[in-house]
Amino acid sequence: MEPLKPEDKTFILENNPQASPEEIEEYEQLLSVRFTEDPDLAPEPALESARSRESRLTELYQKLIAPLGGPAVGSGQ
Amino acid sequence: MSTPVIKVIRPGDTSKPDPFTICIVANPALEAPRGAGQFITDPVVSDQPAFDAAVTYIHNCLFGLLPGQGEALLAVPDIAPKVRIVSLFVPGLPPQDANSLVANDSISNQLIARRAMAIPFLSRFGLTADVVYCVSKSSTHSRATAWFTSDDDAAGGLPFTLDGITFHHRFHHLIPGTIAIHTGASSLTALHEFQHALSSYSNGKIVDLYVQSPPAVNCKHGRPIPPSFANYNGTNLGSDPTRDSLGYPAGWVSFYCALHNQNVPAVMDNYPLATAPESCENDVITRRFILERLRAKISR
Repeated sequence: MEPLKPEDKTFILENNPQASPEEIEEYEQLLSVRFTEDPDLAPEPALESARSRESRLTELYQKLIAPLGGPAVGSGQ
Repeated sequence: MSTPVIKVIRPGDTSKPDPFTICIVANPALEAPRGAGQFITDPVVSDQPAFDAAVTYIHNCLFGLLPGQGEALLAVPDIAPKVRIVSLFVPGLPPQDANSLVANDSISNQLIARRAMAIPFLSRFGLTADVVYCVSKSSTHSRATAWFTSDDDAAGGLPFTLDGITFHHRFHHLIPGTIAIHTGASSLTALHEFQHALSSYSNGKIVDLYVQSPPAVNCKHGRPIPPSFANYNGTNLGSDPTRDSLGYPAGWVSFYCALHNQNVPAVMDNYPLATAPESCENDVITRRFILERLRAKISR
């Protein structure tokens, strides 16, 4: 996964008073981990872990990103 | 459907029926959002100049041709002439499941490759590939991601050892490495994602180093950091005790392999934080692993 641009992290922190560096780091870590298991061969424990991860990602997205207007926050393209 | 535009960017090893191949495809349709089963035309198919520019950028990034680029991964004399690169631009396909290679994620700005669609889509145009770049011009999502390769572990390969355990650089795959990337991608993004995509779910993963990833070829867990990172094929490779200029955050347990350029982050680490991101190079084990995996595939 492409690293978060420094200016995008700054944008989130400066424009969302609910955002913390620790939660941005957790969000980034969970986004990255998505790709580390073969989605077509994952065993059941991994599937459960993935469901838990996606649930937490949704929470973090709603807290960190959604208040800023959705996925295209910061500098984007 | 208009006539497909297939361009051979590099011919690769023309003496072989199945040369190592990288395919760069303009994504015909976006699944938006991911998993919804709803598809829209990807704006990239209305902008062939943007796609062609992305093809040039990806090629240049892989061969170290960006201004000031430090890591010229594929510009190795025994590898460069053996790499086939083909681009595919097909306008006019209806936005439907079979024509969608990329999804807009619902909870991030990630573009996510629909990896299972890669082989059937390419086969319609007589193409195969070991790594597929799916290029999008999504209006809302811009962040590149990659799925690693699912190897064909029932087929052949060249053995190697990692800390005494035998793995194989496989010749063939069940699902190729797949990358979703935006037309606006820049810097080392194309190379970073390529190294993910060429790595393997069953024979060694190359993971992100800017977060605490699970243990992998290029990432270990433990404190204190030992002097030796790993034994790769009988050679001891040192650790990076300081994580270049970035430092390991307090509380992290992951540590990495020694760097080729100790002054800047690794390509798989947080390269945008470097003063000159294009100067970033790989750590020792990542470069060696990727090049040996490439040589195995080239030799098939």
